[in-house]
Amino acid sequence: MAKRNKLEIIRDILKIIQENRSIRITPLLRKSNISSSRFKGYYSDLLNKEFIKETHKKNKEISLSEKGSRYLEKYSTIIDFIEEFEL
Amino acid sequence: MTMTIGTEILYSFIIIACSLMIYFGTKELYILTSHKGIKYFRKAFLFFALAYFFGSFIKIILLYFQRSEIRTFLPIFGSITLFIFMYFSSMAIFYLLYSVTWKKWKSKSAIYVFHVIALIIATTISLFRNHEVYLLINVILFAFIAFTVYSSYIQSKKKKPHNLYAIYLLLFIFWIFNILDILIPNFFQSFQLLIYLASSGIFLIIFYKVIKKTG
Repeated sequence: MAKRNKLEIIRDILKIIQENRSIRITPLLRKSNISSSRFKGYYSDLLNKEFIKETHKKNKEISLSEKGSRYLEKYSTIIDFIEEFEL
Repeated sequence: MTMTIGTEILYSFIIIACSLMIYFGTKELYILTSHKGIKYFRKAFLFFALAYFFGSFIKIILLYFQRSEIRTFLPIFGSITLFIFMYFSSMAIFYLLYSVTWKKWKSKSAIYVFHVIALIIATTISLFRNHEVYLLINVILFAFIAFTVYSSYIQSKKKKPHNLYAIYLLLFIFWIFNILDILIPNFFQSFQLLIYLASSGIFLIIFYKVIKKTG
């Protein structure tokens, strides 16, 4: 399997959350297929960018925000644009 | 062919409008991704818009007062405007080059080096009043651009022949013609309209490519 880039990993994490509606951190980490140290970085990045939100603080259930859904909607446009202009 | 203020305004409008629409049209893609390539690409067009705003400002003043050189007409104001125009112009070129090379160069300080080079170019041009110096700077700038575009084209991951680098090369060539047109009065004379048409066409092609991809 080819090494995923940052944009692909974000897409994969957001897709898992979208498919589950809301998910706890441990299963999300397992399904994301990245190391826990890298996951921590992505997780805080997604929270800071408001792509995801923590719905239940105690159990830390995570759900997708509107911005996160927008990322998934726009993902193919983003990739096409980056490839077209070789960015 | 003698250029009129109307032609100058129309040409400036096309370049500035295309550049700003590219800049604002790609805003959401950058907000969603924070992708460095998108950031440099957008900044390039913001700087093209700013550069052409100051460039056309100089040209319109010269046409209106029927003068040939801004600094003999308005020494301090002319030098400052030329400095700003040259800084934005150089940075626009560097940002666009960097948008396709940042992954390969990997140096985080490259963009700061470009800022310093742009400041040196702008200072040299606003201090010297020598046409040979202007030509030399632009020839060096073009040699650097041609080398970078060619090496990026060779290293391009795309297997099919790609016209992006040809478009960029043409954009840079005509942008340098635009710079020389402002720095050296009547340098192109009869070719000026042709340069304006070609430059507008290239900006419109890039704008079309952006719109086609971003929707």
